[in-house]
Amino acid sequence: MMIIDEVKNWILESRDRLLSGEFSEKDLQKLEDVIVQSPQKILYIYSKSTNMRSAIAGWSQYDPTIPHEPTLPSQEVPYESVLDAVADGWRIVQFPRPELRPFSDVDNCYLGYEFILERQ
Amino acid sequence: MASFVIEPTLDDTGVMDFVFNGYALLEGVVPEGFNRHCANLSGGGIGEVIESAEFRREVLLQTQVAGVVRSLLGPDFYLPLQGHHHLFEGSHNGQTWHSDGLTEQGYGITHLQCYYYPHEVTIDDGPTMILPGSHNRLIDREAIAHYGDIIGQLSLTVPPGTVAITRYGIWHKAGPKFNSERRSMIKFSYFRSQPPKRDWLNAKTEVPEFRNIGRHPYVTEVESYRDRRRCHRTWEWLCGRSKTKEGYDSLRQHPEAYANYCVRLSQLES
Repeated sequence: MMIIDEVKNWILESRDRLLSGEFSEKDLQKLEDVIVQSPQKILYIYSKSTNMRSAIAGWSQYDPTIPHEPTLPSQEVPYESVLDAVADGWRIVQFPRPELRPFSDVDNCYLGYEFILERQ
Repeated sequence: MASFVIEPTLDDTGVMDFVFNGYALLEGVVPEGFNRHCANLSGGGIGEVIESAEFRREVLLQTQVAGVVRSLLGPDFYLPLQGHHHLFEGSHNGQTWHSDGLTEQGYGITHLQCYYYPHEVTIDDGPTMILPGSHNRLIDREAIAHYGDIIGQLSLTVPPGTVAITRYGIWHKAGPKFNSERRSMIKFSYFRSQPPKRDWLNAKTEVPEFRNIGRHPYVTEVESYRDRRRCHRTWEWLCGRSKTKEGYDSLRQHPEAYANYCVRLSQLES
């Protein structure tokens, strides 16, 4: 579950607990645990243009909360576009900088346009 | 001294497909008996195996393998005297995407790198993965190590005795492995020794234009124009219609430097 969803749940539960007079220091500790203990997850998306609605050419996710074990390669895109990923709670931390890549009229080099996204 | 005469097996269409995709896959072409012979090799450098008469006969000069090489490198190519046995036994997460050594960019085809699989390779065995068309991309190999899944990537799940012939520079990696079976891949290279000429199979007619084969799934619209232009230039070069010089000149001019690495076909006794 994403941190934003966990916080939303916490707010929902806390409202009830406030109304019933059960809200306490433990509830604040629970919120702190949710916020502090979630490490950053990174998603690279290789978009087919700098437009965030473009189709995806490739992707790679790094999640420190999951054991590093073999996983089958996939041809199923996690999102149809960068914007779809943003709608699901990912935040863009780096936009592609095409001017930093070598460019010529004929030769291609790296893959797509790299967006780097993160969430907890 | 009689020398080997290798018949080309690719026609214009086959050569164009190779130019576009950067690989040719020959499934199950090495006889089962020789696959068993290679089944228990130790990992690492295996020069003695590569230069043995048996390996030369059953793999390097196998009719279909050598036929593709002959089609792409001309009649008197260099055969390898060195090779590497990539042996994986335990499970692992897979390698990261890379190309080997220097990318060797250029429009000509002067170096073919081959992967020979003595065993069947299933998806659980950590098959080699390649990205068709990526031989046309100039990259710093360490700068693509964070790449993950790419639309159009290919896992080489193959029967025993399969040889993949690739254009050096194609992006590849060992895929994730889920078991402790031996997964063998013997890697070796052929090199060009002569200027290119359109002398492959059924190439008697007028040189056709490079046909538009399409677009690899990961390629953007403008990149596909560049790919097409680049493939066209490679095609022209292979047909001997380009003045562009490529790296095989160093092999021709300094054969002594490569004496322990490869041998010219015409120097072999049949």
